[in-house]
Amino acid sequence: MLEKPTLLSNSFRFITIAMLITWLIMPLVPLAIWSFAKGWFFPLILPKYWSLNAWNYALSDTAGVLESLWLTIFISASATILSIMIGVPAGRALGMYKFKGKEYVELLILAPTIVPGIAVVLGIHSVFISIGLTNTIPGVILVHLIPTLPYMTLVMSGIFSNFDPDFESQARSLGASPLKTFYYITLPSILPGIIVGGLFAFLVSWSQYILTLMIGGGRVITLPLLLFSFATSGRNDITGAIGMIYILPGIIILILTARHLSGRSAVGGFGRI
Amino acid sequence: MSDRTKILLLLAPALSIIILLFFGGLFVGLLRSFNYMPIIGLTEPNLNAYFSVFQSKEFYYSFILSFHIAFTSTIISATLAIGAALLLRRNFIGKSIINFLFQINLTVPHLVGAIGILYLFSQSGSFARLAAEWGMITRPAEFPELVFDPYAIGIILQYVWKEIPFIGVIVLANMQSLGEDYESVARSLGANKWQTFRYVLLPLIFPGVLSASVIVFAFTFGAYEIPAMLGANYPAALPVLAYRKYTDVDLAARPEAMAMAIVIALLSAVMIFFYLRYTRKRIRG
Amino acid sequence: MTHVSIKNLTKVYPGLTVPSLDNLSLEINSGSLTALLGPSGCGKTTTMKMIAGLLDQTSGDVTFDGTSILKEKPENRGVVMVFQNHLLFPYMNVQDNIGFGLKMRNVHKDEIFNRVIKMLDLVKLPNMENRMPKELSGGQQQRVALARALIVQPRVLLLDEPLSNLDAHLRFEMRDLIRNLQQSMGITTIFVTHDQEEAVVLADQVALILDGKLKQYAQPDVFYKKPIDVVTAKFFGGQNFIKGTSKNNNFSSNIGKLALPKDCLQGNGILTFRPENVQIGKGPKSVNTIKAKIIEKIFLGTQTRLKLSIKDEVIQAIANPNEVDEKETGIEIDINIPPSCLWVINN
Repeated sequence: MLEKPTLLSNSFRFITIAMLITWLIMPLVPLAIWSFAKGWFFPLILPKYWSLNAWNYALSDTAGVLESLWLTIFISASATILSIMIGVPAGRALGMYKFKGKEYVELLILAPTIVPGIAVVLGIHSVFISIGLTNTIPGVILVHLIPTLPYMTLVMSGIFSNFDPDFESQARSLGASPLKTFYYITLPSILPGIIVGGLFAFLVSWSQYILTLMIGGGRVITLPLLLFSFATSGRNDITGAIGMIYILPGIIILILTARHLSGRSAVGGFGRI
Repeated sequence: MSDRTKILLLLAPALSIIILLFFGGLFVGLLRSFNYMPIIGLTEPNLNAYFSVFQSKEFYYSFILSFHIAFTSTIISATLAIGAALLLRRNFIGKSIINFLFQINLTVPHLVGAIGILYLFSQSGSFARLAAEWGMITRPAEFPELVFDPYAIGIILQYVWKEIPFIGVIVLANMQSLGEDYESVARSLGANKWQTFRYVLLPLIFPGVLSASVIVFAFTFGAYEIPAMLGANYPAALPVLAYRKYTDVDLAARPEAMAMAIVIALLSAVMIFFYLRYTRKRIRG
Repeated sequence: MTHVSIKNLTKVYPGLTVPSLDNLSLEINSGSLTALLGPSGCGKTTTMKMIAGLLDQTSGDVTFDGTSILKEKPENRGVVMVFQNHLLFPYMNVQDNIGFGLKMRNVHKDEIFNRVIKMLDLVKLPNMENRMPKELSGGQQQRVALARALIVQPRVLLLDEPLSNLDAHLRFEMRDLIRNLQQSMGITTIFVTHDQEEAVVLADQVALILDGKLKQYAQPDVFYKKPIDVVTAKFFGGQNFIKGTSKNNNFSSNIGKLALPKDCLQGNGILTFRPENVQIGKGPKSVNTIKAKIIEKIFLGTQTRLKLSIKDEVIQAIANPNEVDEKETGIEIDINIPPSCLWVINN
């Protein structure tokens, strides 16, 4: 260690880290409190009464929050599975082969991870209208592929570039068929990558707003759309409850994958969440 | 099967979806921004939408506002992220818990952060209540306007909140793979702590910081829901303005919306150029 | 010229109970070139980092000309460390790399440039100032790293494995360069290495450190002629160890009675001699002639290794291939071991 810890530098470090973490956690606190609050008006620091009303509402069968939750899970899971099915082969091509024009293919795949959704979704909307995909769930799933598929492809490209193809050759020379080679040799090596990449692709889809708003046209109400409308209509308690439900998968996934986060390829996806 | 065919087959599904959806969307947007749409009988492309966009004050205000949001958020986030990475790279008691807390909002969607910022910083939010408790204000209106404000302070606060860990985690990984030896060399050659940071560590992590910042800039310039939640009504951020134009009852405004989408896409293209330039350099170096 | 004195230097890493460096004391003369030799993990790099101020000592002291330096910050110690993998700053060209230390001392640009050019001549890399590190070979990078260290005229220069990353043909070139520069500039130099050959080739004095403890501190040839114990002898390639008794300059053991040099230990001990000092076919008239049977013969190109049995003992010898060409495995030969090549180690 280059720095010699002194009492002064240690307390400085402690205080700054405490401030940093406080700042990062702070915006989630009022949401959590609101979800249990009743009559929390200015200038009360804490709610006057505590209540489970917002949670009862959010978790009731009639309010539509649960319906929206299942719908969002369905859309994100579908987009993720499609991204895996299409992104794994593409990642293999990019990670394991050198070929002419590879950098242009990479550019094509990189572009959607940087260009904001609003820039493409208006054009897509006017096409989707004419082929009847607007206001439909398949239309929304399809448009969610724009951020999730390139992400999955780039993650898998990184995974495959660390995979030694000689393992496959060895298996083939020992008599394994191509299918068996994939199942027994390739898949076990890339599975951790697929799982981590897939979980993050799920979160990328989970957090989409403008793509769903435009293509869903107000008929496909995912959780973020519901959350937005409750937040702007001033129902802070219900907003708080939906907000807590909405961030739960991300936190679970973070707990499951925290040790993979030091790998840079996976982190890139968070630029779109 | 030759390698060529194999590669083509492996890439075909992904490339067709990206080309059809992403580039198709861009291309149709471009055509429509030129008022070209044969299906509804518009066969004479023109630049009317661009003329009207570039002649409206509203567009310039929105563009400048979005640029200000993106630039300010990126600079502040990158600076604080480097500071955070410097703090967190050392070993200390409870490091793994702190690291987890540092990463926690990576997976929290921007929209949730925006609502949190709203509940903290609005004129009836937590900070206004604290100010009232301490007798600094008596009515919500006396609290400074930090959300829905013309300087987009609330929006920037939200982005800074969200992007510090994003850039921070990338910089931290970067620092860990570099190790401390370069800094040791510099110290042993006579550089003091500050000089070591300024002339050795900073240049070494700069490409990583820059490529992360490019992603952040493009995102913060083009995101819709955060300025829609926290922004002032006028001027609105460019993506909000584009959405409003597109959903205007007057269908004639749609080409203008498309023109704005193209402006956002062009700015992102510049960002991609920087991104590639610096990531490639890092790979080569 | 700086005399370095290391006194009871000890390092216990947090969480470990065994010290990584245990009470090391060394006196290093002004202007000398000293090797810290040992296998990886023996504490030698730890020692160097503590001298450079890149690591805190647990206890002990390091003084330069009698003044302790351990309270000084690394940049104020007058110590420069050159790392094994060179660590040239990748985004700076050769000129900026070499001039780095002067820039940190706020030396004027023009003067930095002049001194860099002179330095480049000294390390035999003229006209290379605008190259980037990645455009240089390993040997060139090494020389730039050396120039970058020497230009600040340190009191003490620390080198981490200075020859180990180099091809065989470059090692002697670099060895000469380091020796010449070090001697002409008179800089007290300490280097660490795991390679006994590197230590012997380069150093005036060698300190062998095993498991964090100093084994022996002496001139290089002493480790071959008079190793302090079996482990030290083995580290330097010693292979022959025979138990016996030393009395009146004679050593009695299984293989007979051999004459010893004068200053040997008396009493029970272990006789050791280098395989290369076993002489073959010199005839029975010399002192210390014994009969041995060849039990294995391995041709290694420039030399031939022999495994010989003398009664119940097996010894190793190295011979010139010509001398043993016609001697087949299984035959008995006469061997000589001159008294001056024998040494007795404490049991």
